[in-house]
Amino acid sequence: MEKKEIALDVRGLCISYQSLKSYSIKKNLLTFRKDKTERFEAVKHVSFVVPKGNILGIVGRNGSGKSTLLNAIAGIFAPDSGRIDLKGNSVSLLSIGVGFQKELSGRENILLSGMLLGFTEKEVLEKSEEIIHFAELGEFIDAPVRTYSSGMYSKLAFSITAILETDIMLIDEVLSVGDSKFKKKSLNKMKHLIMDEDRTVLIVSHSSETLAELCDSVMWLHDGEVRMFGQTEEVLSSYESFMSR
Amino acid sequence: MKRFIKDIRKYFRYSVVSARSQLRSEVANSYLNWLWWVLEPFCFMLIYTFMFGYVFGAKEPYFPVFIFIGISMWDFFNRMLKGSVKIVKNNKSIVSKVYLPKYILVLTKLWVNGFKMLVSFIIVFLMMLVWNVPLSWYLLGAVPAALLLLLFSFGCSCWLLHYGVFVEDLSNVVNIVLRMLFYLTGIFYNVAKRIPAPYGELMTRYNPMAFILVQMRNALLYEKAPEWGLTAVWLFVSLLLTCTGIRKIYQSENSYVKMI
Repeated sequence: MEKKEIALDVRGLCISYQSLKSYSIKKNLLTFRKDKTERFEAVKHVSFVVPKGNILGIVGRNGSGKSTLLNAIAGIFAPDSGRIDLKGNSVSLLSIGVGFQKELSGRENILLSGMLLGFTEKEVLEKSEEIIHFAELGEFIDAPVRTYSSGMYSKLAFSITAILETDIMLIDEVLSVGDSKFKKKSLNKMKHLIMDEDRTVLIVSHSSETLAELCDSVMWLHDGEVRMFGQTEEVLSSYESFMSR
Repeated sequence: MKRFIKDIRKYFRYSVVSARSQLRSEVANSYLNWLWWVLEPFCFMLIYTFMFGYVFGAKEPYFPVFIFIGISMWDFFNRMLKGSVKIVKNNKSIVSKVYLPKYILVLTKLWVNGFKMLVSFIIVFLMMLVWNVPLSWYLLGAVPAALLLLLFSFGCSCWLLHYGVFVEDLSNVVNIVLRMLFYLTGIFYNVAKRIPAPYGELMTRYNPMAFILVQMRNALLYEKAPEWGLTAVWLFVSLLLTCTGIRKIYQSENSYVKMI
């Protein structure tokens, strides 16, 4: 078997939310007792590697650390210990909605989000027509984003991340975006993106069907730990039986 | 340091584009909006001129221009500091979706507010023409004063950004401190003259905002050269604030998202 290039290497990753009650001067003046520091470990010693071009599904109950893991890979949280090696790949987190600035128009938000994803102004402008076309927003594209309906909002968000392709895509909850027509279109686009030989994809989903259809392998997170990692069918079936207990 | 240079190169363009869009949307949302950038300080100038010029009998050469310079610069400083306390929270939608060095948010604000200040300084210049202020090479002294203002505000804002995330009611404290500073800075009176010696003199030297203001007015109105020594000292302090602030942000920015 030829050895495949590794796109993502996660070693001993731990992320905890610790004593994250914010401090208030008022409270501090009025009470003398110290707040207890609580520590909640969301991800505990998770290690895995994903070869380039692979599609990894992640399953687990609510609160098992799936989203935290994706956030950490996207660079939004720093790990408390352990490391994440992206091997120089660009990464984008495709959850419902990129960061939009509500007062700005859709067009400007495309430019800004694109630049935050690491593209140059020129690259984004070149692609922006395609994004606008894909998002089917019509003349709303020049209206402030705050006037958008939630469907339009997520359509735009999806289009940006779908058209501005990165090497590694992190997909949080396979999207059900927009009306049924757009849903179909976005699912097709998704599949097209995911099937690209060079693209590495991590999908978090609760839908075993989608994962079974798309993934090369599946990781099952339970209470922040890897409970199982392996062949799609194998992991999914034991996950299913665990959940239906 | 290396990381800073790399990030600045990567995100500098973003901050400019973002600032441009913000300004544009402010203008687009109501046609008179940009007018308010000018009208607001202008009206305050009228009020202060009346209150302090006539009621309290303050006498400064070119008094309305004197006040307008003060208000323009103070507004900038005030907006920067107040804005940065909650800046991470206000940009939650971006910060929780994609990584960016958080001081880039401050940098964006710096462009936005800097541009507004620039607009009101155009009015200052027009007023100088109307009041027949003599124009000379001393006007160039405005450059170090403006530079110092930008750097000092940026440094303070970085620190406020950091503590604003962790301390819930920081904005209340900041408001009080800013109000106090506002009166101590001499927006509408001459600190050195009005406050008995030696305190007046001391305050213009050791309150950075007052110092910057005096430098600016000296350059624009009174044909005096900048005090290079003290300017250098304050520049150094501001630089120190900025560097430590950025380092602090780098160290702790990843926990910001967990907080908000």
